[in-house]
Amino acid sequence: MAAQAPSAPRKLFREEAQTGAINCPACGGPIELHGFGAVEQVNCPYCGSELAPEDSGELELLQAAQRARRSSALPLHARGSFPGEQGKPEEFEIIGIMWRECRVDGVVYPWQEFLLYNPYIGYRYLMFTMTDGSWAIGQTLDGAPRLETGFGHRKVTFAKDKYKHFQTSVAIVSYVEGEFPWQVKVGDQAVAHDFIKPPLSMSIEEAATEDGQDVNFTRMRHIEGAEVWKAFKLPGKPPRTSGVAMLQPNPYKKGRAITWVLLAVMLVAWLVAAIAYVDGRTNKVVFAETNKTVSDTISEEVEIGKKGEMTTLEFDLRATGLSNAWAYTEVMLISQESENAIGFGATAEEWHGVSGGESWREGDQTPSVTVGKVPGGKYLLQITPSAGQQGSAANTPPPNLKLSYSLKENVVLGRYIALPFVIIFGFPILFWLLGRVYEGRRWANSDYVSTSN
Amino acid sequence: MMPAPDPMQEQQTHCPNCGAPAPFRGTAVSLVCEYCNSTIVRTGVDVKLIGQVSAIVDNGSPVILGSRGRFKGTPFEVAGRLQVQYGRGTWNEWFINFADGTTGWLADAQGQFAITRPKNQQVVAGRVPPYDQVAINSTLTIDNIPAVVVDRRAASYKGAEGILPFEAEPGMRFHGVDLRGHKGEFISLDYGTNPNHNSPVPYLGEAIALVDVGMHPLRSFKGWRRPAPQGAAGRAQQPAG
Repeated sequence: MAAQAPSAPRKLFREEAQTGAINCPACGGPIELHGFGAVEQVNCPYCGSELAPEDSGELELLQAAQRARRSSALPLHARGSFPGEQGKPEEFEIIGIMWRECRVDGVVYPWQEFLLYNPYIGYRYLMFTMTDGSWAIGQTLDGAPRLETGFGHRKVTFAKDKYKHFQTSVAIVSYVEGEFPWQVKVGDQAVAHDFIKPPLSMSIEEAATEDGQDVNFTRMRHIEGAEVWKAFKLPGKPPRTSGVAMLQPNPYKKGRAITWVLLAVMLVAWLVAAIAYVDGRTNKVVFAETNKTVSDTISEEVEIGKKGEMTTLEFDLRATGLSNAWAYTEVMLISQESENAIGFGATAEEWHGVSGGESWREGDQTPSVTVGKVPGGKYLLQITPSAGQQGSAANTPPPNLKLSYSLKENVVLGRYIALPFVIIFGFPILFWLLGRVYEGRRWANSDYVSTSN
Repeated sequence: MMPAPDPMQEQQTHCPNCGAPAPFRGTAVSLVCEYCNSTIVRTGVDVKLIGQVSAIVDNGSPVILGSRGRFKGTPFEVAGRLQVQYGRGTWNEWFINFADGTTGWLADAQGQFAITRPKNQQVVAGRVPPYDQVAINSTLTIDNIPAVVVDRRAASYKGAEGILPFEAEPGMRFHGVDLRGHKGEFISLDYGTNPNHNSPVPYLGEAIALVDVGMHPLRSFKGWRRPAPQGAAGRAQQPAG
């Protein structure tokens, strides 16, 4: 290189960067190079030999290997489009494939990592978890998460998202194929701390080399296998999924905001309907008798509601003069039209005493019975009372017992109000429970399993 | 759109080695001759020949000398490149001239980019640990910005092209620490060749995507379509069709 001026400047890198094709120096297999100059290492897809591109453009054989090629979920050099940060589709090519695995309680959990590349955008990682068939896509974070200090579950925060620690594991490289912008060897180990906020995760991985140290923050997002298949325009269907993946969105939490809005709307509607319902009741007394004794049997004709309409009846019993005694009335309503009978009973009672130095008193002396769906019409009302006392006077009615009866139509039936209330709350509670069960299945694979063996 | 003309009057200098024009601009100290690879250093009104640098290796960067963009409203142009080598590969530090006469750096490593500007050493002097005591993944507060140490390593200058603000001797080993803030801030601490002190030169800025700063023109890559250039305002324009 003597001191002579060429006729034109070299204009470095103004020419188009070329892809390459070369034969593996170990096995002779044809290797396509699509990673341009950024590549630090190439692993022959056929034999696995580790090759390093030299400044001259040749491939230097670092380590010969004779491993068999594995069939990964996606092929090397496939191109796919994924929505970018602004939603515009961004095209990437798979230039490297790496299989990694971790061991938890002696069980091996393998996954496949696809290195996606676009020379103008950079790299993305696409992960396929082989044990549950789930997918995630992500990239190195342009920032650093904040470690939450304090007690409780370990958390990190980034961009207002709070991620909970899920697991810390040692990931081991088990298979490499294609091009990588860094050196990667089978057997390489890395400690990864995974924090999750489904469908997002934040992975913190520290690495050390002879000339320095670094820490990498990788944010991943759950993606459906079908979306991956669509992105790469692949025929057929993605591998089946099973169980609950680490980042799988909880379907029971999906509509949580809507569920609460719906709940609020339904509660308002319920309240309005309940008020209208209560307001619309007449509570008309169709029969009333007071100060009857236990020997007074009543048999009287009453007119209930309107013919052809249903009504709700309330029978009230009021007993006075009960002292460690009971009074029971059997009530029969016999329809004058259909001869159908409606029967029910009401018990009034009063018990008291002293036990353990404390006096006590219990029993309802004014019981009510509500009967729904009573057809309107003429009825024969029969009331047959009976009564008794504690101890030896079991079959003797209390001497001062007086009984009062009233029968009201068109009263409020409590269950008409309560039932919708139960249903309205039942669904959110059910979804909440199912959501908890779902989270339990997710976290069963984490470092935080409540059951130990 | 174009960076403003150089605030300093341009001197017509020539490469002492091959006689080709050596277009020093602004405060540039060092220039790699585009014709013969010689490193030329400006000393006062004179130029001095340092020797030939080892050629830059093609590490696949989409950035080229002359690429322009706009960072926080200020247009800039790429004037030079320093290529740095460490154990696992290379990265690029692109020297950029802003239209307002200031300078900065565009870091370019494994598809991740950041633009920084040098700050006064007083900002960190005595407030950061010496290089050897900087713990990875620890948080330091620099110029009131809490930032996490993400990278700490020694690296060597491998090669250069274009103009640079200092004399970069190939093979020179320097020590650097990179930090990332919680809001995308990017900070580099340059401890220089001797790591045993606590007043590195700080470079403050933020992580960027090339498309977001409207970087153009970019290198072409076989089989890939270049992203559509963006408008002067730095906004994405709909490509025709």
